[in-house]
Amino acid sequence: MSEATANPGPRLPTLLKSQEGIVLALAVLAFALFSFLLPSFFSAGNLLALVRSVSILGILALGMALVVIARGIDVSLIATMVVSVSWAFVIARSGYSLEFALLIGALFAITAGVLIGSLIAFGEVAPIFATLAAGSVIYGLGRTFFFTLEMQNVPPGAGWFSLIGKGRVLGVPVTVVAFAALCLVLHLVLSRTRFGWQIYAMGNNPAAAKITGIAYRPMVVAQYAISALIAYGAGLILASSASAINARLFNSTMIYDILLVVVLGGIGLNGGHGKVRNVILGTVFVGILLNGMTIMNIDYTIQNLVKGVVLLLAIVIDSLVNPRDEQTSQQGDL
Amino acid sequence: MDEIVEFRKATKEFRGNAAVRDVDFTLRRGEVHALLGENGAGKSTLTKVLAGLYPLTSGDMLLDGKPVNFSSPAEAMKHGIAMVFQETNLVPSMNVAQNIFLGDEGFFNRLRGVNIRAQQHLQRLNFHVEPTALVSTLGAAKKQMVEIARAVHHKARIFIFDEPTATLTPEEKQHFFALVERLKGEGASVIFISHALEEALSIADRISVLRDGALIVTGDASDFTREKIVQAMVGRQLTATLYGDDAARRVARSPGEKVLALENVSMGKAVRSATLSVFAGQITGLFGLVGAGRTEMMKIAAGVLKRDVFHGGRIKLRGETVRFRVPRQAVRRGVAYITEDRKLDGLFDTMGVAQNVFLGKLAKGSNPVSLIGMSEARRQSAEWIEAMKVRSIGGDARVVELSGGNQQKVVIAKSLIQEPSLIIFDEPTRGVDVGAIAEIHRMIEKLADAGAAVVVISSYLPEILNLSDRILVARQGRIVEEMTIDEASEEKIMYAAVH
Repeated sequence: MSEATANPGPRLPTLLKSQEGIVLALAVLAFALFSFLLPSFFSAGNLLALVRSVSILGILALGMALVVIARGIDVSLIATMVVSVSWAFVIARSGYSLEFALLIGALFAITAGVLIGSLIAFGEVAPIFATLAAGSVIYGLGRTFFFTLEMQNVPPGAGWFSLIGKGRVLGVPVTVVAFAALCLVLHLVLSRTRFGWQIYAMGNNPAAAKITGIAYRPMVVAQYAISALIAYGAGLILASSASAINARLFNSTMIYDILLVVVLGGIGLNGGHGKVRNVILGTVFVGILLNGMTIMNIDYTIQNLVKGVVLLLAIVIDSLVNPRDEQTSQQGDL
Repeated sequence: MDEIVEFRKATKEFRGNAAVRDVDFTLRRGEVHALLGENGAGKSTLTKVLAGLYPLTSGDMLLDGKPVNFSSPAEAMKHGIAMVFQETNLVPSMNVAQNIFLGDEGFFNRLRGVNIRAQQHLQRLNFHVEPTALVSTLGAAKKQMVEIARAVHHKARIFIFDEPTATLTPEEKQHFFALVERLKGEGASVIFISHALEEALSIADRISVLRDGALIVTGDASDFTREKIVQAMVGRQLTATLYGDDAARRVARSPGEKVLALENVSMGKAVRSATLSVFAGQITGLFGLVGAGRTEMMKIAAGVLKRDVFHGGRIKLRGETVRFRVPRQAVRRGVAYITEDRKLDGLFDTMGVAQNVFLGKLAKGSNPVSLIGMSEARRQSAEWIEAMKVRSIGGDARVVELSGGNQQKVVIAKSLIQEPSLIIFDEPTRGVDVGAIAEIHRMIEKLADAGAAVVVISSYLPEILNLSDRILVARQGRIVEEMTIDEASEEKIMYAAVH
């Protein structure tokens, strides 16, 4: 301790002593490399496109992070997203006002989240199974009863809606603003509210959280409801910027990209730690990687391979540079 | 006599802090060597070095006179060193035979063949364990037997027991001691770590006492007395204040309002129609052997466990019938259950002290969006951290890095900040060093003096006798005896508990 404070030299090594630091270094490295190698990478237009394209991923990752910190996981995010938004569009198209339809969509997302949360909290089903199954159920219900077409276009005659995805605030795309705003809100919630602190407590030691008197089950339900609502929001932005929502996203690798962002950013899947800045970091790194590879016109399959290798590397380097300290896990029973 | 193991100037550091410092320790062939000391004295660390879990930072370890340095427990095992842990290292979902041969199976295995070989092996050791039984269904003593059988199978000649008797009933302890004698008779050497000094005095040939990582004294067991050991352990004379003679104690507090009443409460096989009362302003000691259902009774009262739906009995809190489904309901009514296993459900272990304590306060509140922060947490928890005398390395140290005693104090502070009126302490001083025990006891007394209803569950008789005003004895899921402190004696309590 005293050595580190006495000597300003080892700043970089300390930075590299956490997964966060490693990922940050890799992100900077990738950014520098792409800027140097690809002339079209380091241009204002491309950078803006980059940030914009990862914003949706980032928003979804925020929802995931909330659940993961409390030692859960929500792999039904994409299903909730596509079904609630598609259904809202179908309702709007059948004669109701868009505002009303969007409200119904939001209610659907929240209901789905509450039901999934209840299944986990009261039914005591493991989150991974509950959300995996619920994702299929939601998607299946949606495709069977609510809409049949895969592509649902944004209903005509709603100028303000397309502003969400295409508009700008002081030159910054609304998408990015939305991501930033949500980051700020979630940061405040996690670090400054009773709700947030209890989320960390639940992830840290669920049994202790219960015995201490935390309203454990209502908290679980709330987490999944919030993550579902965040997914709905992300879906609206996505639909607005692309003028349509494609239900096929449910079958894409998007959910794994979200997990990649969360894990790469340094939020452990065993819960109890991680901050909003980890999500931002993970989002930026994955964004740089995907954008660079797209410019280089790398095959989609190879892109997935690279993503996988990067994830493995991050985990391996973390465990090499930052070995689990024998003492910290043992001290209690010395 | 020849030395089988020798440590020379052995030092083991964790992040620059020496857990074991310049220790010269010898283990002779065929002896039982008791290793004593407070929590954090370095007993476990020293033995873990021998068992190959940690390497030495400096110094030498000699086995049969040759310097060795094990890089893994498997390597130590190959040299005949076996460590039997406090929490056993068995695979619960496999049967006894499979566990004995774990790591030594043939390429193809027939379960029946393995069972038969295990049966023969267990018979040779005179262990009464069914080789086909699932390990998860065994009690603590039987699990230990399986571990030992496994070690013997692996041709161990040095056995390290870390707190082997903590979870055993008196009867099982006798079995265990007989077993140690037999291992010794067969020429094996035994290192025995324990907090129970009487056990060490009766079973060991030699005793070594560690304090703050240094070896204080080593010698033949016959040269030691209880007082001498305690003095060496704590480096000060504490014996009289802690577990002093019970007779010289204060008068019992008189009971106040009846706070809690259990009427014919049942839960599965653990609790069978238990009836008891707890009064304000005094300490109710709840004694029972392992498996007597005392923890379960209190966990039901605090909403941690659920009682049977039908015929589950009645629980009254201040005369009002209650049925808590989750701990939160109990907490909000002023009931605090302080767990016996702080690692399992007591601590948020990667958080700091202030955060842990403050979460207790947060959990009792109801407004989820109320704004808080670290400075708020520090301010609000400071009073209780101070009251409990939690000592930590810097204010933000994670609680995993604290000693057992300080961890326990954090768990207690986390409950007391909720200002409960009924406080249930379950084994409040398990795995806690002597200094902290005294402080925790003082806090418990203070709570009762202030008018709270206090329950202390303990399987350590001197603790029960030292603290309680009223003693309840549990056996087989019900309360079988109730006495005031004036009527109580160790013999009387034990008689009720085992009969």
